[in-house]
Amino acid sequence: MINIRPGLLLALLLAAGAACVLAGVLVGSTGWADLRDEGMGIILWEIRLPRSLGAWWAGALLGMAGAMSQGLFRNPLADPYLLGSASGAGLAVAVALALTGVSPQTSSLLAHIGLTGMAFVGTLLGVGLTLMLARGVEQTLRLLLAGVVVGVVLNALTGLATLWAPDILRAMQAFLLGNTGLLGWSSVTVMAACGIAALVIGLLASPALDALALGEATAASLGVRLPLLRLLLILAFALATGAAVAQTGIVAFVGLVAPHLVRSVCPTLHGRLIGLSAAAGGALLLAADVLARGLIRPQELPVGLVTALLGGLYLLVLMHRRSGSTQR
Amino acid sequence: MSPDLQARIQRVRIDGRDLLRDIELDIPGHRWTAIVGPNGAGKSTLLRAIAGLQRCEGHVQLAGRPLADWPAPARARQIAWMGQQETGADDLLALDVVMLGRLPHRPWLAPPTAADRRAVQAAMEATQSWAWRERRLGSLSGGERQRVLLARALAVDAPLMLMDEPLAHLDPPHQAEWMALVRGRVAAGHGVVSVLHELHLALQADHLVLMAEGRIVHAGAPADPVTHSALQRIFGPRLHIAQLDGRWVALPL
Amino acid sequence: MLERLITTLLLAVALPAGAVEIKDDLGQVTQIPAPPQRIVSLLPSLTETVCELGACARLVGVDRYSNFPAQVNALPKLGGMEDTNVELIASLKPDVVLVAVSSRVSERLKALGIKVVALEPRSYKDVQRVLGIIGQVLGVDDAQRVWRHIEAGVAAAASSVPARARGVKVYYEVASGLYAAGESSFVGETLARLGAGNIIPANLGPFPKINPEYVVKANPALIMIGARGSEGLTERPGWNRIDAVKRGRICVFRTEDGDILARPGPRMAEAAQIMAKCLREKVGP
Repeated sequence: MINIRPGLLLALLLAAGAACVLAGVLVGSTGWADLRDEGMGIILWEIRLPRSLGAWWAGALLGMAGAMSQGLFRNPLADPYLLGSASGAGLAVAVALALTGVSPQTSSLLAHIGLTGMAFVGTLLGVGLTLMLARGVEQTLRLLLAGVVVGVVLNALTGLATLWAPDILRAMQAFLLGNTGLLGWSSVTVMAACGIAALVIGLLASPALDALALGEATAASLGVRLPLLRLLLILAFALATGAAVAQTGIVAFVGLVAPHLVRSVCPTLHGRLIGLSAAAGGALLLAADVLARGLIRPQELPVGLVTALLGGLYLLVLMHRRSGSTQR
Repeated sequence: MSPDLQARIQRVRIDGRDLLRDIELDIPGHRWTAIVGPNGAGKSTLLRAIAGLQRCEGHVQLAGRPLADWPAPARARQIAWMGQQETGADDLLALDVVMLGRLPHRPWLAPPTAADRRAVQAAMEATQSWAWRERRLGSLSGGERQRVLLARALAVDAPLMLMDEPLAHLDPPHQAEWMALVRGRVAAGHGVVSVLHELHLALQADHLVLMAEGRIVHAGAPADPVTHSALQRIFGPRLHIAQLDGRWVALPL
Repeated sequence: MLERLITTLLLAVALPAGAVEIKDDLGQVTQIPAPPQRIVSLLPSLTETVCELGACARLVGVDRYSNFPAQVNALPKLGGMEDTNVELIASLKPDVVLVAVSSRVSERLKALGIKVVALEPRSYKDVQRVLGIIGQVLGVDDAQRVWRHIEAGVAAAASSVPARARGVKVYYEVASGLYAAGESSFVGETLARLGAGNIIPANLGPFPKINPEYVVKANPALIMIGARGSEGLTERPGWNRIDAVKRGRICVFRTEDGDILARPGPRMAEAAQIMAKCLREKVGP
């Protein structure tokens, strides 16, 4: 069993992330950068660099949210899209797209908030709805069930919206499969701010997550005020997921796989796990994005497809190792 | 000096069923109390209720103050609780798991102090689990894992320890070591309450509480013949209680 | 020569008079004994084609998305691609059902004994061919006249484009994500007939998902986009360097015109008019 020290792992992951940023800047729609071309400077600085950094931050946000949700629900299969966050964002985007051009008021409102704003609001609404349905954060099982219900209902409403306005289907598909194409410096700033906020809250709540690993009753017996910390964690997790989904759409598997990857090579408490998951998620998403951009230049694959493929492969390997190791 | 715990619980109701009824329990401070009873008697529920982990109709008083009035960290320093069959935390190192027991003693985000590390080492050595402190919990066998969890409860170093079936997966030598540990704590002035299936061990306690169908049927000294007849009444006539080398043992016939 | 004679004689004997044999886009051959009086159409462009050929009154059911001409909105709606209502179609007792090539109900309908013709126009050549085939199906023989009318309309649109606008590089965005219309798509063909250039070459396929950086590098002089996806176009990173964005040469098509522009069918001349108007207004003056 591999056992890397947290400090070393962090350094490795950040180095991998930096290497991927470099790759992302060098490889784009037009192949290797021709540094003599002056127009290339604009492309590098205004398009490729923010896009690569944005992809890293989106992955970091998802990695953090994944670590938090896996700790909160004590379930290694939890991902950031529980609690209705993804379905809320999807519905908001579908409604926004469907109502564009219907009337001047809706168009100006949309121009004001933007699709990213709508997606972010949608995420928070989805999570809020789940909290309301579960009547608070007391019981984990009720939260999970409420999340499933909200997810199903909001997805159905999204389907209705696409029935009503079928020409939004292509745009919805782009959202649902993940897309880093339009990330600029403002996106990077927003995601970085949300990321730092979520990281701070996660660190503050990390002793609770550690105690929770031993069971809710044990955590309570150790004096941990579970309801308050659960609420804080859900807020942090909604913030992180909302920021990522608003900017890049729904990218599969990164939030699920990043904490797994970290835990499999570095058993550590949640304070470090959340930070390491951020670094791992960032490297993962960015690597997938570079592949998605580079494989069929100048066309692109949706980044969510690549992460699903890579994530699926990783989970297969994990399953194989686990089943191999239990045959003692 | 270990605090006294008094419980007057009219009812604990979960999912429409009454799991506990009319409980009057006095736990003396510096004693080892064993709670026994057939399956479904409500032993675990009682332990959770007196630990403050289960809502109940009635009140529990710790050192004369209602349990609900104690702020959570202070209460956590007074009572250490260990549940049965605790799953999870498979990815954590054994040392980190035991260190979690020191949470009530530290300010929230403070790193472990030297005193914490000493307490953790003492607890793990007392349960013979110090050797695998760097291994993940999930890679340990049932007995090894149980000893790590015991160490976690010990590390809290609380005057009152409540343990629910602490001997699961432990073979007789380790059971004997556990008993020596409990005796040591009682001698140091602490109190221990343990729910046990192993009647022969429960009979070594200072105080025996017998439960059946959500009520306390008998509370008294293990050596008392009244206690023995109560045990036989509840567990059935196939239980044979006898003295062996000066100690009371209970054997199935 | 002799084979031809024998085949024709055989056909004349085998088929009743007025019958036609149709080979559709799936390569399947269907015999239509007489001009159908009850027609179901499950693709909007085929609906429009039937109506353009004057047989609108013979339609008894259309798919959910067919909405032109206005009179088809009164017909029973039979669902979309995935959820076509086979039972309702059967209850309408159609003489022939026109479906898209990718429709999943053709086998089901054929098993119920209903005649199915699968057609899906994707280019100008396709539209001409489909017009001809449907003309055959309907027993109407002025399909070619209709086609010439369409071509004339497109040519008229082309001639309304001023010389200044010819050769101008256009980027046509079909959907956000970003999906562009390439030279090999029917939209690209229209642009070519109008004399405009396309930054997406034919080798990338008809509707590739393109890296936004490519658009910045290609620096189109004119951008065409539908209203739905146009939000935030000018704020896209690096796009303020694009010639079209700098000079405000962005045509945002109204949502109502979306159907006209997206369907390769009889209204292609109207689509060409819309695009020509865009060229005139943005690049002309």
